[in-house]
This record gives sequence, structure tokens and C-alpha cells, in this order.
Amino acid sequence: MASLRSPSLCNNLPSVRPSNKLVGLHMISPARSHRGSPFFSNKQQLRSTIRCTDQISAVPANHSFPSSRPASKVQEMHVYEINELDRSSPAYLRLSQKEVNSLGDLVPFTNKVYSGDLQKRLGITAGLCILIQHVPEKNGDRYEAIYSMYFGEYGHLSIQGPYLTYEETYLAVTGGSGVFAGAYGQVKLQQLVFPFKIFYTFYLQGIPDLPEELLCTPVPPSPEVEPTLEAKAGQPHAALNNYTN
Amino acid sequence: MVRPSLPPPTSLFCTSFLAMATSSSSLASPCFQLSPSTRTHLSLAPKSFLPRSPKLQASIRRSSQSTLATRSRSISPICFFFAKKPPSDSKQTKVQELYVYEFNERDRGSPAYLRLSQKELNSLGDLVPFSNKLYSGNLEKRLGITAGICVLIQHVPERNGDRYEAIYSFYFGDYGHISVQGVHLTHEDTFLAVTGGSGVFEGASGQVKLQQIIFPFKLFYTFYLKGIADLPKELLGTPVPPSPDVEPTPVAKAAEPPHAAIKNYTR
Repeated sequence: MASLRSPSLCNNLPSVRPSNKLVGLHMISPARSHRGSPFFSNKQQLRSTIRCTDQISAVPANHSFPSSRPASKVQEMHVYEINELDRSSPAYLRLSQKEVNSLGDLVPFTNKVYSGDLQKRLGITAGLCILIQHVPEKNGDRYEAIYSMYFGEYGHLSIQGPYLTYEETYLAVTGGSGVFAGAYGQVKLQQLVFPFKIFYTFYLQGIPDLPEELLCTPVPPSPEVEPTLEAKAGQPHAALNNYTN
Repeated sequence: MVRPSLPPPTSLFCTSFLAMATSSSSLASPCFQLSPSTRTHLSLAPKSFLPRSPKLQASIRRSSQSTLATRSRSISPICFFFAKKPPSDSKQTKVQELYVYEFNERDRGSPAYLRLSQKELNSLGDLVPFSNKLYSGNLEKRLGITAGICVLIQHVPERNGDRYEAIYSFYFGDYGHISVQGVHLTHEDTFLAVTGGSGVFEGASGQVKLQQIIFPFKLFYTFYLKGIADLPKELLGTPVPPSPDVEPTPVAKAAEPPHAAIKNYTR
């Protein structure tokens, strides 16, 4: 049941040839190995983090010939998205006019974005979740999420993909601007407290080295995490210059 | 190989929708209008569809570490010269074709036509979230679903159709997903952009051709994918040529693993 979506470390699937510069490499247990259990009890997955700082190429395990993708540097970035209930978000538009969440409901939203170590306010998310279906057996919903993440003067990343309220997903990075211009790759979305706290791990390719200010050792995700008070207040040393608000 | 047409339950739906459609000249919903089936022969020469030289596109896209990133992105002989990279980089330009069928089996509450323009005629302001089933090109396997939204842009009276901006994704179970965006015309074939993907489709780029067979119940897609590793064999295969009679095999419709559905196909 190993998820094919892990860009690097999965038991049966793409094996990684790490560079010598890898630090603290741990195996991530497959995303779907705890199918059916509450999302925030997947602590086994959440405990492990990857610090891939340099050349990593994902080689499909079952290929005996060289990968058709040349080694392309993947940069990891971690952020937290937190809904502090002060942006009138989300706006659940029950356009299906049904009592149960149904296709037709639209949910525009915008939340705050903090660095992975929760010490800096970076900006905001902004976009739309389109409800696709209610999943009664998981007591949750499937959305198609189309949104962007804004990083002040550094630019933004645009994202599109599945958002399941009951399990983590991988979305596509469709592009970006500023330091993220030309970005592609995928991003892992881990929900910590629905719908208030989400932890993201970006696997970005196609861009120059990210500025140091955006890189950090993340606080391991858990339902209790909170940004520092200074970050919440957006104080100059605890926020990006002209952070998006 | 053309599949024999099965007793078509969908024909009943088509009839009922036709009835509803003809009740209003404005065609109250995009799905109530049946455009003539647009049969096109499969083209196995994808490069004829690519508007730009793959090499130039690759050099621009992957130039993050070279000085090309700081230069103008206009097409110039210099760009082309530097595009001659070692063979491993030229593989970035490898185009893989992927064929899928999208079927609306009327069991997902889709589409949801939101007439937010509050006008009788299809108008800017109308939104159409949708989600349909996805089958392999040879119609033997259930792959997953499509999910997203069509934003109505304008009604095109002279073609008796509409223009939508479509933003949606194709889900392939454990393999991942492909996100697309682009124009959807109800009266002719279009090309959409592949904006990205996850799983085996991580980093995907390229375009996809949308052919309507029976609008809006049967659509055939030809993906021209770049920037990804070789696709798993399970997703490839000779497609059934699109025609109005095509139907998934009964076992594919029932999605019986392991042969008629991919693992953990998206529902």
C-alpha cells in the first residue's frame, strides 16, 4: 500500500540515491499505511522528517535502465498554514443547496502562512476549494483545491490538487513568481487540526537556491503547534519584509 | 478494435436531457446540448501539435543553474546553441502520450450548474463544478476520476455552444494526479495546459487534447506529457478509437480488481 507519491523515500517504490550531504535522513512510512485512522494520530509519519539538502534523484525501483529524468535538484521547504479566524475565512458557499456537503459547494479561503519553525510570519494562502464529494465512510470530504501561497517580496507559489479532510495528500506546484518563478514539483499537505492548522512540505524544482530566510528546521507537526507570539504579531524580526497580509 | 455497443443506459439520460434542453433555446445547462460527435482520427505524431521546439522549451525551463536564467527568454540562436546538452538532459524533452476516457455515468451528482449570473442565457458568472469517472484508453481499466470546475466565459450562438475556462485534475489512484487548465469549447476539440502533477506525474508539463465524443457524457483525452519518468505500463496501451458507441467494459465499470481497476483507484 505504499504511496507512490513520496518523492523520495518509500518502501517499495522510488528509491533514492542520496548525496553525501544528506543530513538526518529517515524513512517516511507510506502515506496510506494508516488508512482509516484519524489523521492526527499518524504520529509515526509525522515524527520523521527529511532533510534533503542536495542532489536527490528519484529512481523508480523497478526500472533496470537509467531514469529518463536527469537528476534535478529538489529543494524542500516547510511552512505552516494557520487559520486564526480573523480573515472571515473560509466562506462556505453552499451553492448545491443541499444539507449534506455536495458537488456545487464552493469554499473560498485565505489563511496565514508561517515558516516551518513557526518563528516567522511569511504571508498568506488564498484560493478556492471546490467540494467534489462527501465521503461518509471517512466522515470527511474531497475537495479540488486551487490556490496560491504568498511570501511577501519573495513572490508566490501556485498549487492545484486534491484536499481530503481525512488524510494527507500531495498537490501539484503549478508555478510561481519572484524567487519561485519556473517552480514545479509537488507539495505534501498534512492536516493537523481540521481546518485550522496545516503543515506543508514543498518539493520544489526548477528554481535557484531558495533564500536562507525561507529555509529552517521545522517544528514537527502536531495538533498543539502554535506560532511564536512575535510571529503572530508580525514584528519586524519575526516576519518577512512586507509580508503578505 | 471497436467495442460492440452495449444496451445503452446513458441513452435514456441523453434523451431526458435533450428534452430538457429543447425546452429552452438558451440551453439551460452546458450538458443539455449535444454537439455533433467530433470524430477525429488518432494522431500518433504528437510533435505536430507542439507549438514550440521542445529543445527551446527545455533550455528555458531547466536553465535555473545557468546564465540563461538571466537572459531574455526570446528565442534566439544562442538559446538554441546552449540547448545542446548531454543526452540525459535531452530526455527531458521526451514526450509521452497517455490516453484516457472520461465518462459521466450520472451517479456522482455531476455536473452542478450554478447559474450565478441569474440570466436565462448561459452567461459569465455561471460556474460548473464537476466530477466524472476516468477509464484507460483501451477502456479495460477504471483509473479514477476527474474533479474541478468549468467557468463559463461566453455563450457562442453562431456555433450553438459555450466557451469555458476549465481548471481540473485527473486522479489515477496511487499513481498520483495531473492538473490541467485551459479552454473548453462545447463545439470543438481543444488543447489544455498540463500545469503539474503528483506521484508518477510529479513535475509534469505539456498539453492535453480534449475530444468530445458525446458532450458532456463521453470525452477522450490525449496527454502529451513531458518532464516525467517513464509512465507505468499499466497506464499505457493502444486506445480504443473514439466513437459515440464506446463504453467501458462491464468489468471496468464494476472496477473489479486487480485486472479491471488500478490499485486504490480514485472514487
